[in-house]
Amino acid sequence: MRIGLIYTLLSKENKLLQKEAAEKGITLERMVDSDFDLEITKSKKQDYDLIYQRSVSYTRSLWATQYFENEGVQVINTLNSQRLCGDKALTTQLLAKQGVKTPRTCVAFSEEKALEAIETLGYPCVIKPVVGSWARMVHRINDRHSAEALIEARREMGNPWQKIYYVQEYVNKPSRDIRAFLVGDEVIGAIYRHSEHWITNTARGGSVANCPVTDELRETVLSAGKILDPGIYGVDLMECEDGSLTVHEINHSVEFRNSIEPTGVNIPGRILDFLVSYAKR
Amino acid sequence: EGTEAGEIVSCPDCSTNLEVTNVAPPVVQRAPEVEEDWGE
Repeated sequence: MRIGLIYTLLSKENKLLQKEAAEKGITLERMVDSDFDLEITKSKKQDYDLIYQRSVSYTRSLWATQYFENEGVQVINTLNSQRLCGDKALTTQLLAKQGVKTPRTCVAFSEEKALEAIETLGYPCVIKPVVGSWARMVHRINDRHSAEALIEARREMGNPWQKIYYVQEYVNKPSRDIRAFLVGDEVIGAIYRHSEHWITNTARGGSVANCPVTDELRETVLSAGKILDPGIYGVDLMECEDGSLTVHEINHSVEFRNSIEPTGVNIPGRILDFLVSYAKR
Repeated sequence: EGTEAGEIVSCPDCSTNLEVTNVAPPVVQRAPEVEEDWGE
């Protein structure tokens, strides 16, 4: 069996996957996305049973996946899933359509309508880029003055994505959120990410502890996963004041280095088991 | 030990992110800047 691993950088996660693959006797072939020179006008036989796509770049990931899928290779996660996960507006809309609780969210394309949406949601609320990660450009808006300042700042940014105003209600959660790991049709584990700051990403210094996978958490995550193709995802949730869970994001190139110890789950091993079983379908 | 080419390491003095471009002999260069579309 030949499984490819596409990545941008040799991160801790990618090294752990390599190590686990070696121990299981699985050949995990390295494919560095910066080395790609894909002749898209000429079909080339690809001998991979499956490719696990872990580019850290959303755009490189989409284009590379598109190429390999069009050459008949199974890619996890699929192009469709990556596109959905990488666009917060798409994710939010489909979660709501699926009946999964997700924070109330508005999307606007002009400054005037963005400010109206903010006023409709009320203060505080949150503005995020539709495409982005690691909590970059995620801001809490506490009043009209900060709303106007943020909207003006967006005006100065050249990227058209920054002109898609994704505005969301602020969820008054405890000083933590939840990251659940969905591998295939299993929630293999979950962590709390604690921070006194309202942004709890570990990339921003949040600390990690095990989160028990309750029936409610499992059902919520599995329901959220139904908007996607089978794959490997990090599902982010918050605990609302009434005790219910709300899903605010799904990640398709999930980091897990800090989650193995607190969960006690061999996450890279479970990922590889899924990849092998999926490749054999 | 166990460091591989392509890996990102932190400078123990200044914490700058460095990319290992060669292991023997050891060569590093400044790691690529995080781009706007990078993440999970």
